[in-house]
Amino acid sequence: MAAHGQNAGYWFVAPAILLMVLILIAPVFIAAGLSFTDYSLGNPGFDWVGTKNYAHMIGRSTYKKMLWATFIYVIVVVPVSIALGLGAAMLINSVNRFGNIYKTIYFLPVMAALLAMAIVWEFALHPTLGIVNKTLTDGCGTWVEGFFSWQWIPWSDEQPSWYERGCIRNFPLWFGDKTYTLWTVSFIGIWQAFGFNMVLYLAGLTSVPRELYHAASMDGATKAWDRFRLVTWPMLGPTTVFVVTITTIRSFQVFDTVEAITQGGPSKSTFVMMFAIYEKAIQHNLMGMGSAITVVFLAFVLILTLLQRYFVERKVHYS
Amino acid sequence: MSKIQLQQISKQFGETQVLKAVNLDIDDGEFLTLVGPSGCGKSTLLRIIAGLEMQTSGNVLIGDSLMNTVRASNRDLAMVFQSYALYPHLTVRQNMATPLLLRDLTLWQRLPLLGRLASGHSSAMALINSLVDDTAATLKINHLLDRKPGQLSGGQRQRAALGRAMVRQPVAFLMDEPLSNLDAALRVHMRAELAELHQKLKTTFVYVTHDQAEALTMSDRMAVMMDGHILQLGPPAEVYGNPLDRRVAEFVGSPKINLFSAEVDSAGRVMSAGVPFRRRLSVLKNTAGLSVGLRPEHLQISTCAVEGESWPLRIVYKENLGSDFFLHGTINGSSDRVVVRAAPSMVSEISIGDDVFVQAEEGAAMAFGQDLRRLAFAEGQ
Ligand SMILES: Nc1ncnc2c1ncn2[C@@H]1O[C@H](COP(=O)(O)OP(=O)(O)OP(=O)(O)O)[C@@H](O)[C@H]1O
Ligand SMILES: [Mg+2]
Repeated sequence: MAAHGQNAGYWFVAPAILLMVLILIAPVFIAAGLSFTDYSLGNPGFDWVGTKNYAHMIGRSTYKKMLWATFIYVIVVVPVSIALGLGAAMLINSVNRFGNIYKTIYFLPVMAALLAMAIVWEFALHPTLGIVNKTLTDGCGTWVEGFFSWQWIPWSDEQPSWYERGCIRNFPLWFGDKTYTLWTVSFIGIWQAFGFNMVLYLAGLTSVPRELYHAASMDGATKAWDRFRLVTWPMLGPTTVFVVTITTIRSFQVFDTVEAITQGGPSKSTFVMMFAIYEKAIQHNLMGMGSAITVVFLAFVLILTLLQRYFVERKVHYS
Repeated sequence: MSKIQLQQISKQFGETQVLKAVNLDIDDGEFLTLVGPSGCGKSTLLRIIAGLEMQTSGNVLIGDSLMNTVRASNRDLAMVFQSYALYPHLTVRQNMATPLLLRDLTLWQRLPLLGRLASGHSSAMALINSLVDDTAATLKINHLLDRKPGQLSGGQRQRAALGRAMVRQPVAFLMDEPLSNLDAALRVHMRAELAELHQKLKTTFVYVTHDQAEALTMSDRMAVMMDGHILQLGPPAEVYGNPLDRRVAEFVGSPKINLFSAEVDSAGRVMSAGVPFRRRLSVLKNTAGLSVGLRPEHLQISTCAVEGESWPLRIVYKENLGSDFFLHGTINGSSDRVVVRAAPSMVSEISIGDDVFVQAEEGAAMAFGQDLRRLAFAEGQ
């Protein structure tokens, strides 16, 4: 009877554990298993191919480009959107009026479906019809061109500036020229992520004790920079860790913009991991390859989370 | 020499007037306590002196120069906050060094890493470290210097906050209830230490508290504040012994002063519960809601009736403080409690429910008029 009583607890948690295994853990292991096969959906069977899928990822230029595009996207979007989010949060926090209006406006991109907004951006950045290039073209031959020729800066060189070259030939194909596309996609990513980061930072700022700012004033922190270094930034440590983790994971997961606008091109310059998984596994029905990318993707995210857990979090919680 | 002068300071938060034309001169080197009930505007006044809050009108002068437009960081004052406001991510040493770093190093020297290369950095740092060590020695917190505030007890944090204020030689220390987060025993101990520290430093202390005992024990002068006014300013003995306002008399002193409602006849003779007082009022104005105050130590218990200012008292409660007893009782069945101090030897014969007599010490009674101001008794009979 006693043994029965001791085991009763397991029966109570069993449904939860079963569901967890089925829904959360099993898919990961299945994906890991599939990544060593050449399985295609609909095929009756599959062959084990060992680490061939992973070897492709290192060997083939497509996958090198994939890793590169993802890496650049993350490296650009994370710091810029966090810096902008923090800056906007501090500005909004310091104004007494219109704070709520700013909050709403900056949060709009977060609420808007990125897919829909991607279409708007595609229009705005259209090479000939888009408002961006139209505006740039309208500036040609006016003082705007003069200004952006930078000739008024004393020691500028005689080379035509970026703007002048745009006027002479044409302005970039934002989504067609592979030197620009990844940056344009990153820009949209920043535009979208920064409002979210701002809201997180606004929440973080409300928990900074006002007395610390007063103490800093009494200690002689005259400059805003001193107060930021002494109080704001350290107090926002926990928020920053969270924001960095969330933004990084979300940046790794970028998909909508690429799918809607560039389809990974031109010449794979925006072939980010999520899109690669989608293209390989769903469109080309190469489940094995798709699974391999998924596993690498999960590994990245897992490593990031662990890094946050074991190194950073200890440093930013002060009590 | 730097006096702090407050001239006609008023402060409004929206509609509410928190300070009403406060005037206060704080002498150089004095320990001045601002004391008053919660919400009376003590902290606000202190923060106006500090420059953390802007007065609605009036002037703040420090050492004869007008400070109205000078920022908190440039007033050369140091403050100890109620919550201590230590920087949680810095060690005690770094916390204490902060005011020196911010004031004595250039922006360039303060840059992380690069600052070390700046000229004069190492000698400046050596000086700062030695100042921090000296201050820590004074406060006996050397062994805590490498801990973070989160790893300190309340009393240790309080010392660290004090240390951060002390490393510099500021014009004055402003303290906002620095002891209120400590336990009772430590509070009493720190009271003595702060007073000693003031003796040693000879710097001006402006000390805010709602605890009248702290004000009485530590200060050179105390200002009793209520509803945005300073009701009385003077040495503790004077404020206690000679309160000019009924609210001051009630606020200062523990247990509270006993107040008897009283009537006065046309000759100025004061009667309370049918017993006349010996002295008469000299001026017969504002006498409608007259009350007479007698401190517990100015009343004596006797078991038989005596001549003069004496009332029958029924004991309802005996409060034992060890060295003293406080007897609580009622006069003529009224609901007002009268508290009398008595020696333990005296009290052993008295038990709850007994009827005794209470007699006022001669000349100790204080009369307060309807406007709560003190009314003077005439000298002699
Ligand atoms: N920023 C503010 N906005 C509006 N009202 C305020 C503000 N700060 C203080 N007050 C009001 O001013 C009054 C005085 O506040 P203050 O903090 O000076 O009280 P205090 O005497 O220090 O009380 P305590 O002993 O509780 O600290 C209070 O009624 C408070 O509600
Ligand atoms: Mg206060």
